Amino acid sequence: MLWFILRRCGSAVIVLFLASVLIFLGIRALPGDPATVMAGQEASPAVVEAIRHEFGLDKPLPAQYLDYVGQTLSGNFGRSTQDQLPVIDIIAERLPVTLELSALAMLVAVIVGVGAGIAAAVRRGRLADYVATGFGLAGLSVPHFWLGLLGILLFAVTWRILPASGYVPFTEDPAQNLQRMILPAIVLGTGFAAILMRQTRSAMLGALSADYVRTARSKGLSETKVVGAHALRNSLTTVVTVLGLQLGALISGAVVTEQIFVIPGFGKLTVDAVLTRNYPVIQAVVLITVIGYVLVNLLVDIAYAFLNPRIRLSGGTRD
Amino acid sequence: MRPSPRLVAALAVLPLALTACGGGGSSGTPAAPPSVAGASADNRPVKSGGTLTVALNADPDALDPSTSTTLVGREVFANMCEKLYDIDAKSTIVPQLAGALPELSDDGKEVTIKLREGVKFNDGTAFDAEAVKKSLDRHRTWEKSARQADLEAVSKVTVVDPTTIQLTLKRAFTPLTAQLADRAGMIMSPKALDAANDNFGAGPVCVGPFKFASRTSGSEIVLEKAPDYYDAAKVKLDKLVYKIIVDPNVRAANLKSGDVQVGDNLATNTVKGVQSDPNLKVVSGGGLGYYGVTINIGNADGATEKSGPVDTALGKSPQLREAFELALDRDAINKTVYNGLYEVDCFGVPLDSPFRADGLQCPQRDVAKAKQLVQASGVPTPIKVTLNTPNDAVNIRLAQVIQQMTKEAGFEVKVHTAEFVSLLEEGKAGTFDAMLVGWSGRVDLDGNLTNLVTSRGSNNYSGMSDPGIDDPIKQAAAESDQAKRAELYAAAMKKIAELRGILYLYHNKYYLGMSKNVAGVQYFADGLPRFVTAGFAA
Repeated sequence: MLWFILRRCGSAVIVLFLASVLIFLGIRALPGDPATVMAGQEASPAVVEAIRHEFGLDKPLPAQYLDYVGQTLSGNFGRSTQDQLPVIDIIAERLPVTLELSALAMLVAVIVGVGAGIAAAVRRGRLADYVATGFGLAGLSVPHFWLGLLGILLFAVTWRILPASGYVPFTEDPAQNLQRMILPAIVLGTGFAAILMRQTRSAMLGALSADYVRTARSKGLSETKVVGAHALRNSLTTVVTVLGLQLGALISGAVVTEQIFVIPGFGKLTVDAVLTRNYPVIQAVVLITVIGYVLVNLLVDIAYAFLNPRIRLSGGTRD
Repeated sequence: MRPSPRLVAALAVLPLALTACGGGGSSGTPAAPPSVAGASADNRPVKSGGTLTVALNADPDALDPSTSTTLVGREVFANMCEKLYDIDAKSTIVPQLAGALPELSDDGKEVTIKLREGVKFNDGTAFDAEAVKKSLDRHRTWEKSARQADLEAVSKVTVVDPTTIQLTLKRAFTPLTAQLADRAGMIMSPKALDAANDNFGAGPVCVGPFKFASRTSGSEIVLEKAPDYYDAAKVKLDKLVYKIIVDPNVRAANLKSGDVQVGDNLATNTVKGVQSDPNLKVVSGGGLGYYGVTINIGNADGATEKSGPVDTALGKSPQLREAFELALDRDAINKTVYNGLYEVDCFGVPLDSPFRADGLQCPQRDVAKAKQLVQASGVPTPIKVTLNTPNDAVNIRLAQVIQQMTKEAGFEVKVHTAEFVSLLEEGKAGTFDAMLVGWSGRVDLDGNLTNLVTSRGSNNYSGMSDPGIDDPIKQAAAESDQAKRAELYAAAMKKIAELRGILYLYHNKYYLGMSKNVAGVQYFADGLPRFVTAGFAA
């Protein structure tokens, strides 16, 4: 078991190394660099050179890469080229915002998606099923930015029951925070709810036609118990798997949602950083995201190995 | 169950309304442009106190006057970092931290500036000639300063006495006063500079009606009323909160919902909606800059290198460029792309500029003549032109309108979109045929020309290099007589219009959306809302 964990950790380190190289080269493949953005349209070449020198961008690529790795290993991501603030502070400020948004969106998705999925499966071929599948199709097709603008127009401009956009930290004012997060969470959660609805529905349909459900029914159990305690419980494994798989999609969806609702989160930070060629921020943001993914995968692998000895023995086929 | 047809119709129409894809080039008689008042002459009394929330259209760069390069950054500076000079509603230069307009020696090479007395920085430090020298020297000599070019003519700054400084110039340079009315004239607290050095932008301290309080990267900037300000009695607001809201539709929605009281730089397709809201009003400013099609006629090795021949039909032939221009209908472009809200022009000088000579004429659309020119050139049609275009909806629409208009004359325009930074890189490097790019504009016309159209200018993307342009612009910069300067600039502009390295299309106005209960906002040609006397109507 220890050997298995060590081997997994080893491959995680290799993944991180490759990712760091890719990030480093990828951002430098774009035309323009922080110096050209910072110096602005009117800059003289000498100013651009001075800024390049300041950020070490005039060094050869391998030397720049070593600087970057060295900095990162010491936990120092440098300063943002956009506003001179330390990158680590910016991230500490932004990451919790996106995590909160994602968590709320997931909550919305689970409540709506699983609920609608159950209803659709139980009432298969009837009105509730059509409504739920119709909602699923719409939820998957409607782009976030459109839904977001629609939400702002309806709730903030026409009805004036929610603020149009912006963010207040939860620690400062929980009520304000939730007021501002509810709309983005619904927008972000919609697509995800649609996927969950479809997965829940098909898993539930499978379960409802299974032998153990027939047995439960013939035992004379109430329909609520049959659906809730037997069919749903067995369908949940599928739902949980999808939940894990979709976490990444949720974070990328946050990019658009944060732009529309002006939420100072991780996604907005990433887009802004790319547009301003803010190398230190992009490198840090992407690397932290990769670390997140690698860690989750590592934990899942280890958990699977604990639960299922066959994986341990076969050396791990998952990745 | 089928959804109601009305709901379907409403949902189908909504995205159109939101992005306002109106126009599309087919409408014959667009609606008359809504009338928008100029710089607000709102004299209603305002009460003391309150927080004004202002939506900015982009995130400013570092709030360091020496390195800042964004217009939104200047919007924030306008309320916390005063300059030696400022402009007024008529774009006339007036003293701000200086006590009077500069005194020039006979040869124009010694500039003496008296300073305003009894002024303190927002950290309580005294404002004096030493502080001014420290800031000016940082602007002009710090290797990372973006102000070096602005103050390039200055060779020495001398403290004469605590309230007088003297600038020694390499050559007479009239636009200097205008430079000192912008970031190059912002004076930073010497104490804050000593403490923060290169990181001054993370906690800027200047002289101003408001002082920097905090900044959340990419989200908001907060300024508070400055107790040390020399004219503090004039300042009514307690706090200014700048929120960064990039999407123009979201900016307009925030104004309508009352979440922000002022929204800068409204997109032209949102102006009407904001205007029609009973609680809101729109005022206009700006007009110093320009937008147009820059054609690569000699930028073979980069804008700052010596011009050389380029290998495109349009770049090689002045006749084809003339045909291209004659195919364009500037008024129709303004109406279809910008709801008629910009000022159509074919020169890089603002319409009401004192530097604008009389009798500058723009060519009207003439497709027949354009076709003739194309035919006479002997170049087989369709003539292929790649038009590099910023990748936002409005610019893409502009490119498509140009594509349609020039098609009639025998051009085949291919629209190549890229995000802004990539586009500027291509412009500087000269790796483009034609591109859509503009200039935010300067109070002194020199700032709209020297770097943009003279040989090896840092922004001379078209690669124009002609003594008929270079010489008069250079002479005008050394000339102090306004009428003579206007004549020289007129000569240069006629030559530019002949060479057609830039086909100027319009001067863009800025539209500021405001709640009707906000008064006392000053909004001038530079498009920077000043809140020194602003407040909520009593």
